[in-house]
Amino acid sequence: MLKKILKNKYWQDGEPFVWATGAALTLILVLTFALLFVIVKNGIAVYWPADLVHFEMEDGSAYLGEVVQTTDDEQAGIRHQVKIGNRDLYPLDFKWLTEAHIQQKTAPREAVLLERSAYGNFYGYLAGLELPSLEVPATDNPWARFKSALAALGPGLEELQDIQAELSTLNAQVERLDGKIAKLVYHDKEADPQMAALQRRKESLSQEFQAHVSRYEVRERDLMANTALFEDAGGRQQTIALMSVIRAYRPNDMSPVAKTGIYLRKVWELFTAEPRESNTEGGLFPAIFGTIMLIFIMSILSFPLGVLAGIYLREYAREGLLVRLVRIAVNNLAGIPSIVYGIFGLAFFVYGIGSSIDQLFFPEQLPTPTFGTGGILWASLTLGLLTVPVVIVATEEALGAIPSGLRESSFALGSTKLQTLTRILLPMASPGILTGFILAMARAAGEVAPLMITGVVKLAPALPLDATFPFLHLDRKFMHLGFHIYDIGFQSPNVEAAKPMVFVTTLLLLAIVITMTSSAIVLRSRMKKKFAITND
Amino acid sequence: MDSRLLRRNKQLDTVARHIITVGGVAVIFSVIAILFLIVRVTIPLFKPASVQPLATLSQGSERAPLVALGIDDYQQNIFSLDSTGSLLFRPLADTDNAVAVDLAAGSNRLLRQVTTVAPNHYGLLWDDGSLSVARIDFRPQFDQQGRRTIVPLTEIIDHLPPPEHEAAVVDSLAVFNEQEGLLLRVSLHADNGFSIWRRTVREDLFGDETISEERQAIAPYFEEITAFALARDGRALFAGTQGGTLLRWRLADADITLTDTMPAFKEPITAMAMVFGSQSLAVGTAGGSLTTWMGVRDSEASETKKLRKIHTLQSHQGAVRYILPSQRDKSLLSLDNEGRLHLDHMTSERHLLNMAGPHNLIALSSRGNSLISLGADNVLQVNALHNPHPEINLRTLFGKVWYENYDAPDYVWQSSAGSDDYEAKFSITPLLFGTIKGTMYAMIFALPLATFGAVYISHFAPPHLQRLIKPLVEVMASVPSVVIGFLIALVLAPFIETHIVALLLSFLLLPGAFLLFILVWQYCQRFQVVQEMRPGYEFILILPVLLVGAYLAYLLGPPLENLLFDGNFSRFLFDSTGSRYDQRNCIIIAFGLGFTVIPIIFSIAEDSLSNVPTSLTAASMALGASRWQTVWRVILPSASPGIFAGAMIGLGRAVGETMIVLMATGNTPIMDLSIFNGMRTLSANIAVEIPEAPVDGTLYRVLFLCAVLLFVMTFLVNTGAELVRERLRKKYMRY
Repeated sequence: MLKKILKNKYWQDGEPFVWATGAALTLILVLTFALLFVIVKNGIAVYWPADLVHFEMEDGSAYLGEVVQTTDDEQAGIRHQVKIGNRDLYPLDFKWLTEAHIQQKTAPREAVLLERSAYGNFYGYLAGLELPSLEVPATDNPWARFKSALAALGPGLEELQDIQAELSTLNAQVERLDGKIAKLVYHDKEADPQMAALQRRKESLSQEFQAHVSRYEVRERDLMANTALFEDAGGRQQTIALMSVIRAYRPNDMSPVAKTGIYLRKVWELFTAEPRESNTEGGLFPAIFGTIMLIFIMSILSFPLGVLAGIYLREYAREGLLVRLVRIAVNNLAGIPSIVYGIFGLAFFVYGIGSSIDQLFFPEQLPTPTFGTGGILWASLTLGLLTVPVVIVATEEALGAIPSGLRESSFALGSTKLQTLTRILLPMASPGILTGFILAMARAAGEVAPLMITGVVKLAPALPLDATFPFLHLDRKFMHLGFHIYDIGFQSPNVEAAKPMVFVTTLLLLAIVITMTSSAIVLRSRMKKKFAITND
Repeated sequence: MDSRLLRRNKQLDTVARHIITVGGVAVIFSVIAILFLIVRVTIPLFKPASVQPLATLSQGSERAPLVALGIDDYQQNIFSLDSTGSLLFRPLADTDNAVAVDLAAGSNRLLRQVTTVAPNHYGLLWDDGSLSVARIDFRPQFDQQGRRTIVPLTEIIDHLPPPEHEAAVVDSLAVFNEQEGLLLRVSLHADNGFSIWRRTVREDLFGDETISEERQAIAPYFEEITAFALARDGRALFAGTQGGTLLRWRLADADITLTDTMPAFKEPITAMAMVFGSQSLAVGTAGGSLTTWMGVRDSEASETKKLRKIHTLQSHQGAVRYILPSQRDKSLLSLDNEGRLHLDHMTSERHLLNMAGPHNLIALSSRGNSLISLGADNVLQVNALHNPHPEINLRTLFGKVWYENYDAPDYVWQSSAGSDDYEAKFSITPLLFGTIKGTMYAMIFALPLATFGAVYISHFAPPHLQRLIKPLVEVMASVPSVVIGFLIALVLAPFIETHIVALLLSFLLLPGAFLLFILVWQYCQRFQVVQEMRPGYEFILILPVLLVGAYLAYLLGPPLENLLFDGNFSRFLFDSTGSRYDQRNCIIIAFGLGFTVIPIIFSIAEDSLSNVPTSLTAASMALGASRWQTVWRVILPSASPGIFAGAMIGLGRAVGETMIVLMATGNTPIMDLSIFNGMRTLSANIAVEIPEAPVDGTLYRVLFLCAVLLFVMTFLVNTGAELVRERLRKKYMRY
């Protein structure tokens, strides 16, 4: 029977093998789409306000929260994983509830979700308000009163923010003075008249600082007194300062339009705000900023150098064994593991050049390193090194794809090599070079391993670019989207609570990288069309 | 034309040429210089130790013969102790400004022997058989400007009377442990017996001290005892005899028991010392051999440990007279009877230094960075000793090494631990093994998928699909590895852990469903509709078949697990094979690494497949070959170098991938081929350890060596692939 089947022309022609290759392609595509699907599905859903469910259990306990997932196990039966939040009341903010033990499930309209600046979300019911320093007219509707109290808190919060901004300016000034004083001390010029002036200035600044601090404290205490009383599902009461509430809403009582509003506001927060709660909540602004700045500095280095080397290899170097070897070596360097570049960056940039800079220019700060430790400059240079070979190869290939007839005609018309290069070759090759460069940038944007050892941190106190002199702080450590994924997904104490944020970050990083890659691909296909015309 | 303009153009051109040439060459060579810079960091690992003479000081002829020496860590001060008990501290910068202390306390006893009883504590054996325990130390003090001055410090902690024993004291060793309140003295007597005196101070919860003293004795041994050593914790006594027998007594219990009688040598044992950490015993013999011994369990089950020879170090030319262990690592200084000095490291068995003598007395500073010795004519030589990485050689990096506390030689990577006397273990072999294992599983998964997919796209799919799918694969290539790592470690790994049986089943069911479908499809060939279908869309038709197969596996997994494995596959696996199921295992890694490697292999293979000249295809088709026969017999053979190159480049990428393995392997440096557990790769190892590695320390340099290995591996693989591709390109130019 089997023999008969195999003897068949269908098998003899090898049609089943064609199907097998087709199956392989299908598997690849399924894998790719599955990956994209999982990320997009989880990432997009994170900010949609889910309905709150109130569970009454058989043993009398009650829980209020969002159902995160539901599993069906043969032994345990149907179980729901519920995010119950209220980290200040409960030991764990996630709970598994077995369907069989649930007596009643309701979705009360008055269930409130509070996003707080500490202890994560609170799920409960509004029970009362205490507003000593806010004037909010009393109404029958406590929820409306609560919302208007939150709104009335706005000016006070803005004032606090202003004081904080002033404090950080003062702080930066004091730091600069400290640096100057340390320099004088280092050069043994303690008797210098400048020194006394500096000390006096520092003194007055500190006084100003103290004054601001006490003003801040008074105002804060004043605002903190405004509290709301909440009850959790089991009736336990918790007083929550209105100041610590970032956002409050009743998801079960909201229309899809209102939910969309919340969703958009949260997305806006994602792009503009600082992270909270050890990076598991809040925004990603510093990480987005760090990633972009890193790629920008890297580009400044790797683009011109790579193009220069590529032009040299293709247009100026005499073809021979050496150039062939160099070409193979450069091709190869593009495949060297990124961690090798990272460890090189650590030894050469951080400990080599960085330490020398410290000894030459910042000796008064030692042994605290300024440039002798990881920072955005060193990370960018390391990434630059990593991408230079890619740019070289792209430049070379783009130049090589130009028919040599064009060069010859240009020479025949009497132009010099430089003119040929700048007027004919580079403009023609530029889409190809750009494509290679964008691909290199996309690779750099997703690279994490070399950054981990050259200066990326989980939480940077300040951006590498800000309003204090000298504005661009290349020695500062920075945050990065890719490292953010690794950090909150793997180093965070509460992985379950961090997961939504990891998905959002992943989606964002993937979107950036894929946008870059697809634009490169589009660019390249356009270029191909253009060349098709030239070749005719 | 304007000649000035022409000249300017020409000048500009020349300038540009120079700039581009210099710039280009500089960029290329600075990029290539990376390798040399990394290699340079690792070179000191393999350099032998070196000494640099700092000073020579002559002793006044009026001084009695010296019995002990010492030097501080800053190489600024030395002390020397002569047999009258007079101790002299001398700053090296200003040797006249010496401080003298009389340790004999006015008596006219003479010092016979000085031994170390604890770091910076010495046991002074006087000629009347009494023993003083003295602290001789250099204490750094810092003034307000942070300047350092070294202050000598001497203190007689205790003075023990001569032991009550009928025979005279030949030699005496002591152990002093202030924290545990232990002072132990073991004396060898002329009748080859030992006397033991022990004082323990115990402090109870309320701070009350109880002091207990006990005396014990070991009956005379029938052979002459020529050397003995005492473990730092006072729990074991080792002795060597004239006949070459090694003896060991356990002192910890109330009764002293002779636990080992090992006829170790055919020559007299002449010197003994405990290696740093007090686990191993260094033994020197009259023939000049230097070996280390350690208690080892003979079998897994046995409780007792038997002495065994573990390491053999470089032999001396004459009898070994004295062994001085370093206080910092497992290095040993040894002197032979003509005063020649050897420096060896126990674990690596490296012979680090050889100094011609004669050296009569030697001492090391506590950090082991300075060496002082008494040479001929009563001259003191002070040397800086540079011995940064004695524990590293090719054998410890790649071979099996017998470490302390291990029952057999093994490959171990263990870079840090809590205690000070712990020895870091730097075997790269488990990391190489892990790298190769992960790569191998990834390639098993990725290579067939990628090449088959490339074959399909390049020769069976219609052109407009090619234009659609190739960019898609490129997008797949650009997915950052941290994203893949996160997904497979936090989403896929827990899923597979609960559905492992379903996954294994799908390896059976997917091909099964495929075959079944092929048979059905073959049957369907007789229908007109099927025959007239345009070829090139097979991959879409097969999708539901595969999905059905996968869904079947998903459904059948749990019942099968109940049926075959008692409902718990990982427990079944552990019970039946002893191997554990880790959540982050090779299956996960195969998926993750495979995902990064597939697009690379795919695009290179696809390139070389579609570059096969169409004339070949046309000729084959014209001869009546089917589309598969053409691909199998004509296209694949001529494109195989390209596919090979793609596989190599993919391999290089998998070898060096860091984030995925860091996140999804568990990072345990084990050597186990099982697909159900994890590993640690070279790249992840660098990422894990480098933040904690002190600059220029051994770990730091070993990690650079890992980077060099990675570099070399990927460079070789990539160069090979590049050469193959270049040849292929030339070959097709002919058509």
